[in-house]
Amino acid sequence: MLEILHDYGLILLIGEYPHGPLGGLAMTLVLAAAALALSFPLAVLVGIGRTSPIVLVARLAGLYANTVRGLPLLLLVFWSYFAVPMLFGKSINASLVMLVALVIYETAYLGEIVKAGILALPRGQTEAARTLGMGYWTTLRKVILPQALFNMIPSMMNQFVVVVKNTSLAYVIGVDELTNAAYQVNSQLLTKPFEVYALLAITYFVVCFALSRAVAALEKRIARTRRSRPA
Amino acid sequence: MLEFIDVHQSYGNTPVLKGISETVAAGEVVVVCGPSGSGKSTLIRTVNRLEEINRGSIRVAGQDVHAPGRDINALRAGIGFVFQQFNLFPHRCVLDNVMMAPTTVRGMSRAQARERAHALLERVGMAHKAQAFPTELSGGQQQRVAIARTLAMEPPLILFDEPTSALDPEMVGEVLAVMKDLARQGMTMVCVTHEMGFAREVADRVWFIDAGQVLERATPEDFFHRPQHPRAQKFLADTRH
Repeated sequence: MLEILHDYGLILLIGEYPHGPLGGLAMTLVLAAAALALSFPLAVLVGIGRTSPIVLVARLAGLYANTVRGLPLLLLVFWSYFAVPMLFGKSINASLVMLVALVIYETAYLGEIVKAGILALPRGQTEAARTLGMGYWTTLRKVILPQALFNMIPSMMNQFVVVVKNTSLAYVIGVDELTNAAYQVNSQLLTKPFEVYALLAITYFVVCFALSRAVAALEKRIARTRRSRPA
Repeated sequence: MLEFIDVHQSYGNTPVLKGISETVAAGEVVVVCGPSGSGKSTLIRTVNRLEEINRGSIRVAGQDVHAPGRDINALRAGIGFVFQQFNLFPHRCVLDNVMMAPTTVRGMSRAQARERAHALLERVGMAHKAQAFPTELSGGQQQRVAIARTLAMEPPLILFDEPTSALDPEMVGEVLAVMKDLARQGMTMVCVTHEMGFAREVADRVWFIDAGQVLERATPEDFFHRPQHPRAQKFLADTRH
């Protein structure tokens, strides 16, 4: 296994970069980070929509969230693969297609986290703000979201761990990410599939485990901040 | 200042308010008392539309509160409300809690809002905790900050919804002292409270509510010594043990 790492480590880590496109683990992390960064603002909107007093808005947001959560990510990846070039032109690259699928998927899940964060706050918070004359949006911006989003940080970080693993599906549309890199290494070696995929498994595990530990540490810190001051 | 005209309200099929018609004059302090579940909290929550009503109308300074198209934010900005559970914003310090509404709703400059917030915190005896967070404060201190937060909008009328019911006994006095101070300075106040001592000392009138109706309206003197309605007599006997 060390031999494989020695010969193909760089490919697994960054792909052909800097002589070719970015790939490997670096691409996996870039995809995951970009997906989370783009889904976050959209998820806040979905979460607000889910809790909207306007029934139609709440229904539409609910329809979106429930539909997406009821579909396998792989299906969204296939759909995006055919739909995105139709919408944005044929030249669009596969990583962008994957990013679109991930954003659609993650926005639904993160949106549920935002919704839960909003609903978990005591009703008195909204009542106090509205009673002072603050409008719906001012109340969200100044009172509800700052508290809800702060409370949601651990859940969102956990979702990031899930996204990292989900990026592996990009392999099916030919994105040069970690799984794809391992697949290519395997087809060059031909005789060592067990070792190659064990290496792949270890890499995912190490990244995700490290992230999980980081989330746990963050959770502890948040709990401490909360005990010493706000809830 | 405040006028209830045949106000009816119900939760589903359960009637809560059954035809309330009362008035509160400017500068008057009215204490609303009655057994729990009688509709007292609901009554004051209809005034700033935390609850809607089914029939009748409510006027604040001549304006129909529940009229369709009424600017509810402008209306609420002019009606103070103090909650049983304080409901301070836990993610902001005491000073920010008091400054938030004047800056966001009235567009007041931060400097001016800060100056006023300090003055109000001084008035409720909380200036030394301006930088503290709500969870660092005792219940009594939180409620005094909540009163300062309400006063920051300079409402001509303040509604109190059992402001001392969530407090430990030793903290009730400090909150009542602030309320008495407000009453003496001519604030129009409607207080739902079980503090009969407060009613006796500062109320101009007491309303006794039971089962969604005002059964008795009297001066504290008359109410406590010569209650007319049998249920008021029973209520007073029960609360005296």
